[in-house]
Amino acid sequence: MEDPKFLLLKSHRKFRLARAKRKDKTTMKKNTWELKDVIMMAVLGVVFAAVYMAVFYGGMAISTALTPMGLSAFGFELIYGVWFMAATLAAYIIRKPGAALIAEVLASAIELLMGNSGGLTVVLTGIIQGLGAELVFAAFRYKKWNFISMSLAGMLSAVFIFCYELYYLSYYLLSPALLAAQLGVRFVSAILFSGVICKLAGDGLAKTGVVKSYAIGAAADTGTIYDEED
Amino acid sequence: MRSLNPACKFTGLLAVTFVLAWRHDPVLNLIVSVLSILLILSARVKVKSLLLFMSPVLLFAVGMFFTGFYFSAGSDMPVNEKTMAFASSSFWNGLTLASRVLAFAGIGYLFALTTDRILLVRSFQKQFHLPQIFAYGLLAAWGILPHMMQEYRRTRAAFQARGIRTFAVSPALLGPLLVKSVRWSEELSIAMESKGFSGHEKRTDFQPVRVHGYDWFFLGLCIIVFPVAAVFV
Repeated sequence: MEDPKFLLLKSHRKFRLARAKRKDKTTMKKNTWELKDVIMMAVLGVVFAAVYMAVFYGGMAISTALTPMGLSAFGFELIYGVWFMAATLAAYIIRKPGAALIAEVLASAIELLMGNSGGLTVVLTGIIQGLGAELVFAAFRYKKWNFISMSLAGMLSAVFIFCYELYYLSYYLLSPALLAAQLGVRFVSAILFSGVICKLAGDGLAKTGVVKSYAIGAAADTGTIYDEED
Repeated sequence: MRSLNPACKFTGLLAVTFVLAWRHDPVLNLIVSVLSILLILSARVKVKSLLLFMSPVLLFAVGMFFTGFYFSAGSDMPVNEKTMAFASSSFWNGLTLASRVLAFAGIGYLFALTTDRILLVRSFQKQFHLPQIFAYGLLAAWGILPHMMQEYRRTRAAFQARGIRTFAVSPALLGPLLVKSVRWSEELSIAMESKGFSGHEKRTDFQPVRVHGYDWFFLGLCIIVFPVAAVFV
């Protein structure tokens, strides 16, 4: 631990914490994007883009199994909620206006960088899904951060992306009953992934104390936390 | 394809995608998907990796075909005259949905496999005026991806050594990864700040990303020639 690099890192971290506290008291500037917010959202985007890849092949397997019945589209409906997670989790941690939208767009940009079979429109779908989640958090005036608001955010994302797919993937060629069933399954998936799992993940992160410089960590009661280097 | 400006390539191919979404023509879709595969191969992408990427897409296309085949909307659906012809026949219906999957995936891989990722972000920053803080934030996050993969494998191996079986996306693996990622993101931003990055300073470019004549040519081809050809041919 005598490495000066660690000492420097620690002192800088303390300095930033102090600065964040000072800012909160004096100016309450909430709308500016700091580098740490942006990096945090981009890194969450990377994590979730990797998860999307893994889940994509899982969905592929399910839909292949459902192919003979003509229900292959349901393979993805079951796990569709995973694609709304980046927005909800980032918004839950950072709690600033725009966090959901920007995090989702960054995650989709990372997906584009990784190369995916959905094509170039991933960025577009990112914007659409992000808007859905963002609108719900905005409707709560960025004050409610609980299971209800997160589930609703996921569900509105689901509605938004469904409307887009009706046109883009020509889903209107399919029968209305099938479409209603698809939307229903997608709602359940949205509640499970962006409501339940994101809430658990966010609370778990707050408990470990790694997010103490963000809004969620400030609200959480974590007691004394020791750094990795302490 | 490789030497095109990434932002121009992105815009052009996006326009092609929208034209395909607007015209529901299986023949056109198939032509575009074959064309994009040929272009990918001409850009010296290995055939093996292309097959690896395309095989799940093929599976999904087959799946979509059967979905469209069994569950087609009746002719009472609010579709216009042109699509009525497809909607009335379940075979065409399935073919439309399946060929669309192929065409979109073809375009997507054409872009992904022939574009330099770092150049893409820098091109977005230059041509689309993406704010510096997001461009470099993206690049920084992209840079820790290999690190993340290694850490994931390490955690998985650690569980295996203890005789605990884990599956690919189990919470026991993703939880620690999430915690570590948040730590890295904080350290990364501290490192960038301490090197003097604030996101607002004026920077010079080591390798400026420019738009050349042939980029405009490609853009014109995608935005003007292709839609006109798709409508009239």
